[in-house]
Amino acid sequence: MAAEAEANKITEALHELSVQNIVTLPTVGPFDFSITNTVVYMWISAAIVFIFFFVVARRLKREPDRLQVTAESLMNFATGHLTGQIGEKGKKYYYIILTLFTYIFTMNIVGLIPKPIFMKPITPTANINVTFGLAFVVFCVTQFQGFKRHGARGYLGSWLTPPGVPKALAIPLNVVFFLVHLMGELFKPLSLAIRLFGNTIAGHLVILVMLGLVLKFSSYLIALPPLAFVVAMNGFEIFVAFIQAYIFSLLSVIYIESAIYAGH
Amino acid sequence: MDAETAAKLAAGLGMGLATLGPGLGIGYMTGRTADAIARQPEASGDIRTAMIIGVALAEALALYAFVIAILLAIAG
Repeated sequence: MAAEAEANKITEALHELSVQNIVTLPTVGPFDFSITNTVVYMWISAAIVFIFFFVVARRLKREPDRLQVTAESLMNFATGHLTGQIGEKGKKYYYIILTLFTYIFTMNIVGLIPKPIFMKPITPTANINVTFGLAFVVFCVTQFQGFKRHGARGYLGSWLTPPGVPKALAIPLNVVFFLVHLMGELFKPLSLAIRLFGNTIAGHLVILVMLGLVLKFSSYLIALPPLAFVVAMNGFEIFVAFIQAYIFSLLSVIYIESAIYAGH
Repeated sequence: MDAETAAKLAAGLGMGLATLGPGLGIGYMTGRTADAIARQPEASGDIRTAMIIGVALAEALALYAFVIAILLAIAG
């Protein structure tokens, strides 16, 4: 009985990660339209990104001030690999990649800021629905580009066996190649989503479990090392937030590139 | 051992085992990246980008196991 109560103190800290309804709206079929704290923090992140770039774009100068230098280096960092990977054609994807990078980065950072008690402090990207939504956008862009540039015949044809295979082998190999490519295309958004979700939630779980130790032992002597660890871990989380946003945008570029140059 | 205990044991063991491969891979990649940058510091940007892609792909494997472990620990 006592052990159970103590275990509850640790899991109590984990409840911080749960989703909470702010405004409950009706459920239509399988879709729940309620406004949760995740949605509110997503809106806040989007507003931060929008206002930041709106303000910077309003006061562009020939001699950039601090804000403009920040925005410009952010834009260069997020999209610097575009032309390197795709070439001149890559300039078209500047906006979506920049948006993905800044939005994901802001969402990751918003989750690290302490928040009011009436709304649970949750990171939007620690919710697998959010990351799958973002990955689905990348998936749609990738497939749309593939079909648009090569046509349905050319794009799906690039999934089949390369020319030069003997006729007798070609038909069974085509089936295998097609299925393997289909699996590959479906696994790309899956790995994008799970990577972002896993990295974000793993860091938060470690922090919360450490704080759970403080709750469990309730002694100042034991509380200090976990607290020091939590502070260090929060610093590491800022690094992870940045690197995960970068990896997401970089892999999106690579996936789009693979669709544009399909069959080469 | 009942089903719930077995699921929790599998979650813990599986997570630990699943970090082995990606851990080795990421360590090897980072080591070789350090080698390459030491040999050719002027190409460090490109080398680092290539490393980050590889590390991200290796890391995803451990994260698949992480998701399965969470499912086992919560639902199992």
